[in-house]
Amino acid sequence: MPGPDLLSSQGLRLDGRRPNELRRIRCKLGVFTQPDGSAYLEQGNTKVLAAVYGPHQASKSKTSTDGVVVNCQYSMATFSTGERKNRPRGDRKSQEMSLHLRQSLTAAIKTELYPRSQIDVYVEVLQADGGAYCASVNAATLALVDAGIPLKAYACACTASIAWRGSEPEPLVDVGHVEEAAGGVCLTVSSLPSTRSVALLELSHKLHMDYFDVVLSRAMQGCRDIEVILDRAVREHLAEGWTKQDVVTI
Amino acid sequence: MTGHVSIKLASERVNHCVAANNELPRFYTPGEVISGMQDFMRGHGTYTEDDCLKSSVAGVMQKVNKLICIRPLKSRYVGEIGDVVVGRVLEVQQRRWKIETNSRLDSVLQLSSVNLPGGELRRRSAEDEQMMRKHLQEGDLISAEVQSVFSDGSLSLHTRSLKYGKLVQGTLVKVFPSLIKRRKNHFHNLPCGISVIIGNNGYIWISPQQQDILLEDNKDEIQNYELQPVSRTDRETMARVKNCIAALVASKMMLDDTSIMFAFEESLKYDNVKDLLDPEAMLDIAFLAQHRINTVMED
Amino acid sequence: MWTTKTFLTKTKRGNILKIVREHYLRDDLLCGSAACNICPHKDDEYILDSKPHSICALFDYEHYLILDTNVVLHQIDVLEEDALTNVIILQTVLEEVKHQNTAIYQRLLEIIGKKTRKFYSFVNEHHKDTYIERNPGEKQNDRNDRAIRKAAAWYASHLSINNLDGQYPQIVLLTDDENNRKIAQEEGIVCCSVKDYIENVNGFVGLVDKLSKNVIPESCSKDALYPAHLTPTQIHTGIRNGKLYQGTFHASRENFLEGTSVVSGFEKPILLQGHIGINRAVDGDIVAIEILPKEEWRKPSDIVLEDKADDPGDLLEEDTELLTSVKPIDTSDDEITPTGKVVGIIRRKWRQYCGILKPSKFPGATRHLFTPAERKIPHVRIETRQSDVLASQRILVALDSWPRNSRYPLGHFVRSLGPIGDKNAENEVILLEHDIPHARFSEAVLACLPPDDWTIPEEEIKKRVDLRGLCICSVDPPGCTDIDDALHARALRRAGPRAYEVGVHIADVTHFVRPNTALDKEAALRSTTVYLVDKRIDMVPDLLSSNLCSLRGGEERLAFSCVWEIDENANVISTKFHKSVIKSRSAMTYEEAQLIIDDRSRQDEIASSLRVLNALAKKLKRKRLDNGALLLASPEIRFQVDSETHEPMEVQAKKILDTNSMVEEFMLLANVSVAERLARDFPQCALLRRHPAPPPAYFHTFLKAASQQGFELDVSTNKSFSKSLDAAVIPERPFFNTLLRIMATRCMQQAVYFSSGTRTQEEFYHYGLACPIYTHFTSPIRRYADVIVHRLLAASIGADVTHATLLDTKHADALCDNLNYRHRQAQYAGRASVALNTHILFKNRVEIESAVVLAVKRNALQVLIPKYGLEGPLYLPSDKFTYNEEEHFQICDDVILKTFDELTVRLSLDSTNLQHRKLVFQLVKPHIPGFSYEPEKEGEKMDVETVVAEKSNPEDNKGKSTQKKKRKDNAEIKSKKKIKK
Repeated sequence: MPGPDLLSSQGLRLDGRRPNELRRIRCKLGVFTQPDGSAYLEQGNTKVLAAVYGPHQASKSKTSTDGVVVNCQYSMATFSTGERKNRPRGDRKSQEMSLHLRQSLTAAIKTELYPRSQIDVYVEVLQADGGAYCASVNAATLALVDAGIPLKAYACACTASIAWRGSEPEPLVDVGHVEEAAGGVCLTVSSLPSTRSVALLELSHKLHMDYFDVVLSRAMQGCRDIEVILDRAVREHLAEGWTKQDVVTI
Repeated sequence: MTGHVSIKLASERVNHCVAANNELPRFYTPGEVISGMQDFMRGHGTYTEDDCLKSSVAGVMQKVNKLICIRPLKSRYVGEIGDVVVGRVLEVQQRRWKIETNSRLDSVLQLSSVNLPGGELRRRSAEDEQMMRKHLQEGDLISAEVQSVFSDGSLSLHTRSLKYGKLVQGTLVKVFPSLIKRRKNHFHNLPCGISVIIGNNGYIWISPQQQDILLEDNKDEIQNYELQPVSRTDRETMARVKNCIAALVASKMMLDDTSIMFAFEESLKYDNVKDLLDPEAMLDIAFLAQHRINTVMED
Repeated sequence: MWTTKTFLTKTKRGNILKIVREHYLRDDLLCGSAACNICPHKDDEYILDSKPHSICALFDYEHYLILDTNVVLHQIDVLEEDALTNVIILQTVLEEVKHQNTAIYQRLLEIIGKKTRKFYSFVNEHHKDTYIERNPGEKQNDRNDRAIRKAAAWYASHLSINNLDGQYPQIVLLTDDENNRKIAQEEGIVCCSVKDYIENVNGFVGLVDKLSKNVIPESCSKDALYPAHLTPTQIHTGIRNGKLYQGTFHASRENFLEGTSVVSGFEKPILLQGHIGINRAVDGDIVAIEILPKEEWRKPSDIVLEDKADDPGDLLEEDTELLTSVKPIDTSDDEITPTGKVVGIIRRKWRQYCGILKPSKFPGATRHLFTPAERKIPHVRIETRQSDVLASQRILVALDSWPRNSRYPLGHFVRSLGPIGDKNAENEVILLEHDIPHARFSEAVLACLPPDDWTIPEEEIKKRVDLRGLCICSVDPPGCTDIDDALHARALRRAGPRAYEVGVHIADVTHFVRPNTALDKEAALRSTTVYLVDKRIDMVPDLLSSNLCSLRGGEERLAFSCVWEIDENANVISTKFHKSVIKSRSAMTYEEAQLIIDDRSRQDEIASSLRVLNALAKKLKRKRLDNGALLLASPEIRFQVDSETHEPMEVQAKKILDTNSMVEEFMLLANVSVAERLARDFPQCALLRRHPAPPPAYFHTFLKAASQQGFELDVSTNKSFSKSLDAAVIPERPFFNTLLRIMATRCMQQAVYFSSGTRTQEEFYHYGLACPIYTHFTSPIRRYADVIVHRLLAASIGADVTHATLLDTKHADALCDNLNYRHRQAQYAGRASVALNTHILFKNRVEIESAVVLAVKRNALQVLIPKYGLEGPLYLPSDKFTYNEEEHFQICDDVILKTFDELTVRLSLDSTNLQHRKLVFQLVKPHIPGFSYEPEKEGEKMDVETVVAEKSNPEDNKGKSTQKKKRKDNAEIKSKKKIKK
């Protein structure tokens, strides 16, 4: 069977996870005071900061009367990968990522509420260890929630790959850098799990149709799991922020 | 410039949460179903889908009869008529100024909504239009009141009162609008000799108290006033107020004259204003202020 | 559910790079022991017994074994025995083994997979209690040893929890590392060396024999015979700064003291000579080579040298014989080859070797010398106490190490294959030596088969084109049961020029062999059916190969059809492919078909169909040859096998008839048509077959020999080569042209399968067939390549769905590698089987036959007996013969022997060496006094010899051979002109 050995004979992955387990996700909302909303998210060793400004008056050229304009900027820190590399803003990869980010977030934001407005989302990858895009979407979602921007649902993104247990395909959720680099196929899904809709799909290599469904459903399951984690984080953040106000407003 | 810099590990950071009422309200998060029934009215922060009323923001529910709203922890300023706001002039346009007021669209200050020298009921002439920039130019800060709300949600302001108008000689503090407590009066002269304008939009203006009521036709004196140096004690007091506000904000406490004043008084035990930037000190002040508020409320 | 901890691994790679990896530690991993009452095992997750029975006298209490990495690496043969059970394999060990030796890793996995063996693999590296971090400054090996000890200690305490009565299994750590043992003992872990443990095992005879005699090779500097190998670091630096070269060592078959290695940077392979030059490299090893200075460069020695040593002890005989043969060097000589010496081993590629024990001089001794069947492999020292039993057996031996002070490598006995001379044992040897999977089909594979009484379901017929009405027939060699192709032809009745519809119908194997089933995987592994003289190792089970897929006469079968419209001049007008149902009218042999064609009285449908096919085939062939296709030859023979003893009785050359060529032409046409279609539809993953043009250097010796016979061959293109071969005919020597073609065949490169995504369009060219694109479509029963081609074609015409691996270029490439490898091994095995049977045939027989010289070596002639297709060396003593290096001939007085010369030789079997029974060739004619075989000594054979010797034109002799018991049709050899595909 093709592809490297991503699954040990005991059914564990290279880093010790089982196929359906996400990496450890830790996140925090409201890490900055300056932007309207901000969040920090760790997905394993992938670490991402997101900041949201807005909605505010859209610049003249971008103004849309239909809804809010979502403007995203994805960038990677020079120290984010093993090799220190100068990454000019707006290189092709970041631009592509920015567009993808925008696609996912626009799907989640209730854009129709704010005509002629604009929301700026800045995402900075501090450390990239696989699934940087997913972490960016998840962090951006938290930042949007923090900014009080109305969303249809959480936008969650997750990757999935495929490994072989004997001859049986065994999809892997939340692919790490090692697994990514090993050359397997990697499916990135960005979705609104609670509405069961998909905002973005990206496939890194060829994957045969026969296996697409299992990989996709594993990635969707990953999104749902992430949603639970994000929701918990949001509630914790609310609980922390709300106590004071409550007392005062009584 | 070298100075004392304190960088702390994330794990050692101070938890600004000031223990208070531990009864948590029911929180709703985006996409969560609030009610399956249709006999409610959809308010802010909600939307309907599949015959369900769902939350679109993370916050608590506010129910007014059949209207259900979800209020988020923080958001951009949503103006209401009569609100006092502090804003900054962005643009001078045809017969109006564009004002940034921390709301999701820029606010408008019509030329007709300002008091111009020479009487309230004076007709606005063509010269006035040309003189607009003389009156308020880009970057100027003003205090104003929300006159009306346009259909798209943007605000129309007016400064047709003596207390409103251009702000000079002071400090602007930006906080989240949700932390501003709605009060009858947002202009306060604090006992410490400082006046604050707590804008509903989260912009707080701190300035020395004006000794004399300026005559509006005494233009020269305004000019002079702008140029007059502020005394060092005043500046220090302003900084202290500013830091107190920051301390309250860090602990997510609601801001009004009382809480600011309490915080200010508690801060006096720190001699040096800059000591107030220390996270522990901030927490201390916020905690003491909270305690005093609680005491007052119990009374 | 899971706990997480992150840890950092810092690795330096080139410029310093910090790699941070996550490592999750879990608390849900099971210990696998039935004696444990803590882990939440499910019923089927108990691997280890709660009361393991001890078989070792040293430890007479219940215990589990934990193995060290080195134990697994070296003693895998012991582990494979059914003796040790209740063993815990730690992940640390598993990973180290995987890293160091994948073959052993696979074997270990297999053992773990067997439920009865009770081997439990414990994931200690991810267990929260057994994971340890590497201490600063600690070596990886030490850390792993520590991890193993930690896990052992954990197991001991884990099992004791809640087992207050003391009735729980102990842990015994097996390790050969003294240091590790010492520390373990200090830590209170019971441990033991493998040797001590195994030697005290009761009830398993022969287990001790399998103990590997592992010695650290470089440590034995006392009495060292060989220079020490360089350390890996030295090798690495040496290669990096260009002083050393890396290459695979290929031992010479003829001379045990010589080998070659191809390294980059040198056009010619590097010559490695003598014990010291080879320095313990074994065939296949990847070695580091140091090139000697130019003055010491040599020619490859032309002598044939065998290691006849009768265990001379640990001495190296002088390499005099080898070295004296080298004359003062004329550096301009273009046969001078870069010469080097092995200075280090980069990776051993040892496998298990078949062979026999050399009889020991001392009865009852335990140390023995083992002679491998493969002549490239040196003798091996093994220890066994069963020598009296094993002496008459073919056995399998594994190499362990080759210390500096041992003349031979050390090894240990693995298993016995059967008595020497036993047909099955001998076949087993052939199969093992050629790495041919030949186990019986597993239950899982057989479960994929349709029932025995399977018939074509109605709905399947509806999906296919019904060709049952057509007059389809098959033509195959006699006795063929796996008929995979059938043909039909009929004239098209329509206006315009005369045209025919010709169809090739191939057994639809893919209907039964579905992708990714156990059956499919087994077939992919086997890749090809292997034909030995008296045995066929099927690629797919018998039910398919000889029944459901075999297009037998009169039975309805599923087929994959390729149907052309062909005009009178054999131009293809149109091609179509479809799945079909056919009913073959008749399954004929080549001879039967030939008879029908020739029998003018037969005018039935079959006959006319065959005649059309035959006529078209001839035109196709003509066209092909005009394009430059080569007609090559290789001697092929058929054995007549005694039906009872299965011993070969007689040999005959395969006959070639028009009908052979007829079938072949259409198969070629079908293959080409399919190849074109696939290349068009699957530019990235079509499975094709190419035959690269041979580099001109390969022709060097061949052209020289041909020019000695007066023929200048033009090898610039295949077309010119083909033409000049056609012209090279000596009328009075009809075999000469065939011989020339046989030798030309040997100059060719192998044709190989490849995936279209890995090559450029130009590289698709098939040199031998002179066609731009080619594949294999026509034998899916016996070749897996065809199965893949069928699937691709089916997907292309929409008859079937694709599946993932089919369209994956990388996978296709890997598949091709395996196909090529298996294909080659199958060919070698076939040849080995022919050789084996020839030996059996000559067991009690001596013959005098005519022969031709294929090549001239320094001390021998390579001769070919056309009748048997047999090849071997005819040794020439150097005191009588002088070798002319320039012109490649041997001279003795007035007799000159050169390539293509015809000789008469006496053939007999030399059975003195049971392992390498070899045919001995002795020169009969031309007669050289004192050297040639003197026929007087064996009077009864006289007549045979004379008759043969006198034959100048053997055609005339037909019928003359009167009272001889053997047919003397040796000259009629029509070696099957086999198109090298």
